[in-house]
Amino acid sequence: MATRALALCVRSLTRSSTRLYQGSVIARSSSALLISNDRSFSAISCSQRTRRIEQSRVSQLSRQYGGLPPLTLEAISDRVMYVLKLYDKINPEKLKGTSHFMKDLGLDSLDQVEIIMAMEDEFGFEIPDAAAEKLMTPEEIVQFIADKKDVYE
Amino acid sequence: MTTSRLPPAVFTLKQFLQRQKVLGLYRSMLKTIRQVPDDADRKYLRNWAREEFQRNKNASNQDAIRMMITQANMHLDDLRKSLALAKS
Repeated sequence: MATRALALCVRSLTRSSTRLYQGSVIARSSSALLISNDRSFSAISCSQRTRRIEQSRVSQLSRQYGGLPPLTLEAISDRVMYVLKLYDKINPEKLKGTSHFMKDLGLDSLDQVEIIMAMEDEFGFEIPDAAAEKLMTPEEIVQFIADKKDVYE
Repeated sequence: MTTSRLPPAVFTLKQFLQRQKVLGLYRSMLKTIRQVPDDADRKYLRNWAREEFQRNKNASNQDAIRMMITQANMHLDDLRKSLALAKS
């Protein structure tokens, strides 16, 4: 029983200290102030400290809504071309919007799969299998992404 | 060089479906490999998968291809299992 109580105590202490650390990252100034204020490690002061840090975190953390700049067709095609140029098996000089991956650029079907995966990474959404195998030129990819993201002119 | 890599113009339905299956398998393979935490391992596995697929690209016997698909599925399952183990 005693050991259990001891373990509980230690656990709560470590937890509060990690929380203190997290808090210090976010609200460094306030936690530094707190550290200088109370050095004692009694359970009460621990809990007090965490509560105060929690409060300061709540006041400092405001939700940031991620607003991306709106996609345009040009931006999409720029990003697609950028990804394609970085792909090591494509010769950047030969690359055009209309060039067919297999016929013009000499890639194979596995390369095409890899390109589609790279596009998924770049734009952060999944391209279903059925659509993926029809995308054979950069223009088609741009058009597909524009359709998916509701971008028109 | 470009023409040799084209798929043969005429496919039977079965061949076509099998081709789709193989490509889908490659996709899920890459997706699984993407979850591997270590950079060098990921690169190695990616190369390995590609080489395996490329090595057998001229296989034409449908039964042989089916067997290879099964084998690849087993490899994929193995990979997934070890990934899940590594995470837990």
